Amino acid sequence: MAGLELLSDQGYRIDGRRAGELRKIQARMGVFAQADGSAYIEQGNTKALAVVYGPHEIRGSRSRALPDRALVNCQYSSATFSTGERKRRPHGDRKSCEMGLQLRQTFEAAILTKLHPRSQIDIYVQVLQADGGTYAACVNAATLAVMDAGIPMRDFVCACSAGFVDGTALADLSHVEEAAGGPQLALALLPASGQIALLEMDARLHEDHLEQVLEAAAQAARDVHTLLDQVVRQHVQEASILLGD
Amino acid sequence: MLQKQEKVLLLRTFQGRTLRIVREHYLRPCVPCNSPLCPQPAACCNDGKLLSTEVTHYMIPDWKVVQDYLEILEFPELKGIIFMQTACQAVQHQRGRRQYNKLRNLLKDARHDCVLFANEFQQHCYLPREKGEAMEKWQTRSIYNAAVWYYHHCQSRMPIVMVTEDQEAIQQYGSETERVFVISFKHYLDNFWPDLKAAHELCDSILQSRRERESESQETHGKEYPEHLPLEVLEAGIKSGRYIQGILNVNKHRAQIEAFVRLQGASSKDSGLVSDILIHGMKARNRSIHGDVVVVELLPKSEWKGRTAALCENDSEDKASGESPSEPMSTGRVVGILQKNWRDYVVTFPSKEEVQSQGKNAQKILVTPWDYRIPKIRISTQQAEALQDFRVVVRIDSWESTSVYPNGHFVRVLGKIGDLEGEIATILVENSISVVPFSEAQMCEMPVNTPENPWKVCPEEERKRKDLRDTHLVFSIDPKGCEDVDDTLSVRTLTNGDLELGVHIADVTHFVAPNSYIDVEARTRATTYYLADRRYDMLPSILSAHLCSLLGGVDRYAVSVMWQLDKTSYEIKKVWYGRTIIRSAYKLSYEVAQELLDGNLSIADDIPEFKDLEEKSREAKLEELVWAIGKLTDIARHIRAKRDQCGALELEGVEVRVQLDDKKNIHDLIPKQPLEVHETVAECMILANHWVAKKIWESFPHQALLRQHPPPHQEFFSELRECAKAKGFIIDTRSNKTLADSLDDANDPSDPVVNRLLRSMATQAMSNALYFSTGSCAEEEFQHYGLALDKYTHFTSPIRRYSDIIVHRLLMAAISKDKKMEIKENLFSNKDLEELCRHINNRNRAAQYSQKQSTELFQCMYFKDKDPETEERCIADGVIYSIRTNGVLVFIPRFGIKGAAYLKNKDGLVISCGPESCSEWKPGSLQRFQNKITSTTTGGKSITFHLFDHITVRISVQALRCHSDTIKLEIVSNQPYMTRNTELSHQSSFLKSELVKEVTRSVEEAQLAQEVQVKVLQEDYQEYCQTKGRSLYMLLEEIRDLALLDVSDNYGI
Repeated sequence: MAGLELLSDQGYRIDGRRAGELRKIQARMGVFAQADGSAYIEQGNTKALAVVYGPHEIRGSRSRALPDRALVNCQYSSATFSTGERKRRPHGDRKSCEMGLQLRQTFEAAILTKLHPRSQIDIYVQVLQADGGTYAACVNAATLAVMDAGIPMRDFVCACSAGFVDGTALADLSHVEEAAGGPQLALALLPASGQIALLEMDARLHEDHLEQVLEAAAQAARDVHTLLDQVVRQHVQEASILLGD
Repeated sequence: MLQKQEKVLLLRTFQGRTLRIVREHYLRPCVPCNSPLCPQPAACCNDGKLLSTEVTHYMIPDWKVVQDYLEILEFPELKGIIFMQTACQAVQHQRGRRQYNKLRNLLKDARHDCVLFANEFQQHCYLPREKGEAMEKWQTRSIYNAAVWYYHHCQSRMPIVMVTEDQEAIQQYGSETERVFVISFKHYLDNFWPDLKAAHELCDSILQSRRERESESQETHGKEYPEHLPLEVLEAGIKSGRYIQGILNVNKHRAQIEAFVRLQGASSKDSGLVSDILIHGMKARNRSIHGDVVVVELLPKSEWKGRTAALCENDSEDKASGESPSEPMSTGRVVGILQKNWRDYVVTFPSKEEVQSQGKNAQKILVTPWDYRIPKIRISTQQAEALQDFRVVVRIDSWESTSVYPNGHFVRVLGKIGDLEGEIATILVENSISVVPFSEAQMCEMPVNTPENPWKVCPEEERKRKDLRDTHLVFSIDPKGCEDVDDTLSVRTLTNGDLELGVHIADVTHFVAPNSYIDVEARTRATTYYLADRRYDMLPSILSAHLCSLLGGVDRYAVSVMWQLDKTSYEIKKVWYGRTIIRSAYKLSYEVAQELLDGNLSIADDIPEFKDLEEKSREAKLEELVWAIGKLTDIARHIRAKRDQCGALELEGVEVRVQLDDKKNIHDLIPKQPLEVHETVAECMILANHWVAKKIWESFPHQALLRQHPPPHQEFFSELRECAKAKGFIIDTRSNKTLADSLDDANDPSDPVVNRLLRSMATQAMSNALYFSTGSCAEEEFQHYGLALDKYTHFTSPIRRYSDIIVHRLLMAAISKDKKMEIKENLFSNKDLEELCRHINNRNRAAQYSQKQSTELFQCMYFKDKDPETEERCIADGVIYSIRTNGVLVFIPRFGIKGAAYLKNKDGLVISCGPESCSEWKPGSLQRFQNKITSTTTGGKSITFHLFDHITVRISVQALRCHSDTIKLEIVSNQPYMTRNTELSHQSSFLKSELVKEVTRSVEEAQLAQEVQVKVLQEDYQEYCQTKGRSLYMLLEEIRDLALLDVSDNYGI
């Protein structure tokens, strides 16, 4: 079989999207009653669940407490059944640890941690099915969960990935596109201010193209923001009906 | 807007487990249908090419049809073809990259009336594959469903014919929807295209070869070749250094035995190998064909072989036993092919007698390709007898390890063997040159220029451009009768006393919009092709000979480069690039310009522009012109001197120039004394090219198109050094400067041919100058060795070279960089540009080869009807320039022919020359030394041939059926040919007049070859003075292009 054609001459990607189009996003907030905040998101076939506890007192060693702000603790895990071939360890491997750190960085930038000194916020993200863009799905799920928990944030954090094929930037890569091995960029954006919470890329990409790819990712992140915004508004509306206002 | 669907795929992993994969699949309501009948073209976003409106039906081929009959679908006569995405994907997955790219190109090509419909992404067309449904069935069902949708989408206004090979489908769907017909491909051709004979023939031939392949795969013979290794193993092997990757180059003169693998890129550095790798014999070559990218395994040193140094003829299997080959070189065998480079091949069917000897299996016939380097091809056809006297195009289908020869099929007939048109067509096909006339769509884009409605400068452009019509004295210097003037010059004094030198080039890009039909066409052609008797233009003549040609006295658009020079030191102070309007005042010829330069003002009477002027204004104008030419020459001298200091190569010395032209035209038509004006014009063009190269590189460091001329490999110079040593000269090849100096010194006053030969050898040792994209090369590699410039490009001939068009666009983008962004978008990215450069280089090479081959064809036709025994002119003076074990290589200055002459014939007899200048074959032996070869007969008589000896040879033509005819040289005597060689110049003019007489006598016999030949000589000049009897500068460029041309062929002789 000849190598896959990631972008056809007519401008279609393998799954029928065009270069700048996102996968279908569906999300729900408040999926667990027990946690302070929780959310579930589906970005195409990537499915992630995020749960937030806190802010609460520091658990474990007190020495970890920060005098001026809250400690954000993130843990990422990926279900053993999330990929095509069964994984051995759900969490604790290098990749999960790295992802946890990245999430922590992202949310330290977004949550107003100064409001809760000497306390701790826990964010647990679980990927149920991985089909590309896991980081983006985790960030988006966690954003909703943090909001559900009522923790004050500067803005939404919306994340999206982007790749680069044949001179065109592709937004929101699926697993097939990621596996093809081209450059891949993950971007977490604070859409209102346009500030970047996290930007990561570990492949080689010519400097000249970076701007183009970055712009594609940012645009995709803004699109994600519109969707998440709808989800939040709908959730709030439902909740207020329940409260009987 | 998008609708999400899920597809479940079951894949088998490398370990053999099944893997369940879920993939998303998005559908959309609107997919471009590209039909002019579309009811909502806006919603469909039909922005690409549309189907034509003049078809009676749309044809939708099934996946199987696309896979097997793509070649027929490529016929431009078949119109209104819709390729479904499902079918295209089937091609991609099952037929591989090559076939798929062909399909892609077909879809992109504006000349073919076909479009792609992305049915799988259309909401209503997509059908999920049902459980247990075979892939093939699902594909057919999808395509049919899409066809029906398409029919309704076009509001039932256009009947649709789906063509399939699946009988069940024909039955099932045949009458399901009205006006959507389902028929078989054969049936379709019969009903709709009964007159398209070529398609029918091709269809039969494809069917037959497929049937055979099927039957053959069942009966497995013993294997003829080892299997190729799988791709993963090859890639791993190349990485680990176990295998080496390179391009297979078959030796033309020993096609059966020797092939070389030229190393590619990195692998040559890693393995530490300098030379090529020898592949000895067909078995080791393992089914690879000339031009393929192959992977080679080196053999152990004990099995290494040397290349044969003896001369040999192609048809004879290497029988020259006892010849000791040269020292062993690295030898290998092919273990796999990375990329097949199969193209169309011109072949000849065997004559009747040969067919019978090939046995009863008359359906399979071994045909002989015209190109020696291609193995015989086995094809199945019943038309063998009818096609006996024709040159035929075939394609290779496959080469199984069980078969000695590759299998192919017949495609089309070119023409009769020996017929001029047929042979020219052969040369074109062999060089993959396609020369269809410009289509109507392309001509529609051309501006109007008729006598009633002449083309005018448009006022809007007038505002945008700098107007030089009244301020500058612009003039052109070209060969006499030239039609397409790409370049003009100007020089004037500025108010502050400085000089302003201007080079004004025709603004072709103004007329050729990026990605317009004409642009795409020009890009595919890449260059104007010159054959010995005809020309295939890159741009339509309305542009090349009229609107873009900077003729005298008319307003024209130009792109100008103007330098401000210091009045005394001629230092460049400032440079300006931009679009201008000019009106060339004089269209001078080189001769006239030279006369003016020399102060011979009486020549002014020959200048048409002066005819109608009064005495007084005429004198003033003449004075002005003479001053300008003089100043130009002065400036050019100065620039040249500066470049010489850096080591610019003087290969364009008189001799090489004449000799090269000799190669093309048997008779020299370019003045023997090069005029200084030639050099002046050339120098200005080089200067312009150099400055433009600098500018575009600065503006676009990663995507500028430049031209490099890498320094030559020192080992290629060894032959040159040896030869020079024989005459007592020392050639220092360390740098371009030393080479140029030592070549100047190596001059034998008694024999001018020696210097000529040495220079031509030096030229041959050079690498090719190439176009490249600056993003793909380190800056140190940009240099131009021959011109001794750090950056160089082609800017001055946009009418006949596509590279210049690109450079023009780059320059335009560079000077308007900050103002307009949209121009920048039309530029190529580094990757695309690299691809394009490869294409242009490749086309240039094809143009050179075809030019050379067509000249050889004419040379042969010229000598063909002469009887070498009686005709006086078949005997000529030759110079030995290389010595081999069984013969010598001879150069005939009079005709510019190089060839081999044998001292030992096939029966093992050696030559001996009698005193009365006639040679005989006698038993004896040959002894080869460094600089001479001695032939001793058993009778004890011996004669010796030294390097650079003048000898007398007889020229005859060896007629070959399957290949082009070749010139054969026989040594008549070891003495110089006395009567002629003394006065070369006199003789050539004598010969010419003689030829002309001959023509007038034989006008009636229009078909006779020599008539064509002579006509060529004269028309040639008129027609080609357009660009061929051109400036020295272009010649100079061509010398560089030709540089390596012969090296690959030279392994043999």
